[in-house]
Amino acid sequence: MQRSSLGPIRVCRQVLCGCRLVPITHLSVIRQPWLCASPSAGTAASFCPLLSSGHRLAFVASSEWSGRSMSSAGWKQDTDEPARNGKLLEAIRLALRAQQGQADVGSPELGKMLDSFSNMGFSTSQIMQLFSLQPKLAPQTWLMVVSELVLLGLDANSTLSILQKSPEVLRMTAQQLRHRAEYLRRLGLGEGSLQRVVNSYPGIFSLPWKKIDAVVQVFKKCLFTVAQVTEILRSCPSVLLEEPHDLEYKFQYAYFRMGVNHRAMVKSGLFRTPLAEIKNRHIFLERLGLYQTPDKKGQTQVVNPKLKEIIRVSQGDFLTQLAHSSLEEFTVFKKLLAREEEEVIASEETDSASNGEGERSDSK
Amino acid sequence: MAALGARGGLWWRLAPGGLVGLGLPPRRYRYKEKWAETASKIPATRLALQNFDMNYSVQFGSLWSSIRISLLSEQKYGALVNNFSDADRISQDLELLNAVDFVYESQKAAQQVQCDSPVEQERSEETAPPEIHSEQTPSLLSTAISPNIKCYTFSKGDISRFPPARPDVLGTLGYYLLDAASLLPVLALNVQPGDLVLDLCAAPGGKTLALLQTGCCRQLAANDISASRSKRLRSVLRSYVPTEISANVRITSCDGRNWGEVERDTYNRVLVDVPCTTDRHSVMEEDNNIFSRMRLKERQMLPMLQMQLLL
Repeated sequence: MQRSSLGPIRVCRQVLCGCRLVPITHLSVIRQPWLCASPSAGTAASFCPLLSSGHRLAFVASSEWSGRSMSSAGWKQDTDEPARNGKLLEAIRLALRAQQGQADVGSPELGKMLDSFSNMGFSTSQIMQLFSLQPKLAPQTWLMVVSELVLLGLDANSTLSILQKSPEVLRMTAQQLRHRAEYLRRLGLGEGSLQRVVNSYPGIFSLPWKKIDAVVQVFKKCLFTVAQVTEILRSCPSVLLEEPHDLEYKFQYAYFRMGVNHRAMVKSGLFRTPLAEIKNRHIFLERLGLYQTPDKKGQTQVVNPKLKEIIRVSQGDFLTQLAHSSLEEFTVFKKLLAREEEEVIASEETDSASNGEGERSDSK
Repeated sequence: MAALGARGGLWWRLAPGGLVGLGLPPRRYRYKEKWAETASKIPATRLALQNFDMNYSVQFGSLWSSIRISLLSEQKYGALVNNFSDADRISQDLELLNAVDFVYESQKAAQQVQCDSPVEQERSEETAPPEIHSEQTPSLLSTAISPNIKCYTFSKGDISRFPPARPDVLGTLGYYLLDAASLLPVLALNVQPGDLVLDLCAAPGGKTLALLQTGCCRQLAANDISASRSKRLRSVLRSYVPTEISANVRITSCDGRNWGEVERDTYNRVLVDVPCTTDRHSVMEEDNNIFSRMRLKERQMLPMLQMQLLL
């Protein structure tokens, strides 16, 4: 345990030293909070994001990580490495020049940068892919963004896919990236979940501040405790991308219509499930007579199944164990319900339109 | 009501629904707004549903939940083809929509089974003494049904809706949308050509129309206790049936319980669609819901009323 935990730290330092553009002071500033956080955390994960990803990587493929750094170190001694590097260099320079003659980056600088990239664990093909994404950008920006992402604990593959999925991350400064990561951590996205979130929703970096704030406010308005809000964000990070209005509606549906309390909502991952699916299953059970909205005193005539049992099971299990019904019936019901909802929406729109007209004619 | 009567010094004998002409709805619909707060907050639909849950779950067992969800979801209609319009074209149009004539299909299926069973009968005669059951089954299946009735429905799982019927060149509508199950009594009645038919409680007219489709009714008497509903019946017949046929239809608005005294042994076939708890309506609509507190007495008298009508 000790050895493997030290290994990534060594690599960490190696990487950071390799990135000449990152001042060393920055390194110490960042490391402080991690070191302070360590006593509270049970695991070594809070020590350093690389460690925590090492949490993921080390226990899974620590050899791979250290192997990479070894191989990159080994690369230097490899005989055909200069040749490979040289070819890469040429290719990149050609690409850069082809894109409207960027400032002709000197060969040795480029070489240094390529070294740092490979230190971070990028293979040749990955580096090529990186540069082909947005050759217009100065390679320094590249390095900065990529190093930030790596600092967060993402490995080469994920970084690449993130940058491919949302290139606007490249336009952000290291400062912004860091701030956003800090804020997300404060909200409760711990190390493992932070990487998971960033992997699946890279756009999270470029979300406007207000949006994240609005989502958190909505949860507070719905009277979730701070701990519950953290738990929600941790388990369903996709809520940050949803409209606050939709989240509130979903909460109200579960609270008033289904009679579910806050604790159950958090535990069952309510916010991970799309509203349509919740409604389908709930109304199906309701019309079958197996679920009842609790009255003022919270009582029902039938024992309502728990929310977790309804939405967290597979459709097959839901039908056999809860609903005691067939797939055919459920499919037809879903179609009917979808049509009902459409018509409600359509009639509401015509009502509001006719109301608007009525008011206008009255005012005349 | 009493004040009205007293003012004029006249004593008005009110028939059911009698004050309608004066602009007042029948008593069961009237309530004073400011007293509405004391009215029960539990809607009649919920009462109906509770009642059904108690009774039908016992009656139907595990099938009740499927029935329950069907009652609470959108109704599936069948289209009764109007033979007095261009029946072939209408049938074609409906088939283009992927609807199927369930009357025809079930007859076909019954005939299939009938063809198979004589073979079984022979086999059983060889192996064991002839059983009475196998002799009887072919005859049961060949029970005749009222002819000429065509009703299209969409197949199982298909939730399409029928477009509203459009009038043809003569102004008659092509098909009548009703609940397919309503046709079953008409089919079972097995009307024969030249029959004299009585339809008690005929309004709003779906079954009456189906009876006319058979073309076998020499004379049809359609009765409903409610004058307004009889009017509706009349308008339905006007839209669907040409005048020469509707000349043979006599529409009356009397109490069906007294029929035996008036016309005993006059008819070959009698169809009685007794007033019922209108299950689907009771769980969906609040208006005119027989489970509302005001209509409790009416509902409790239903079984007796049904018996009196039937006997």
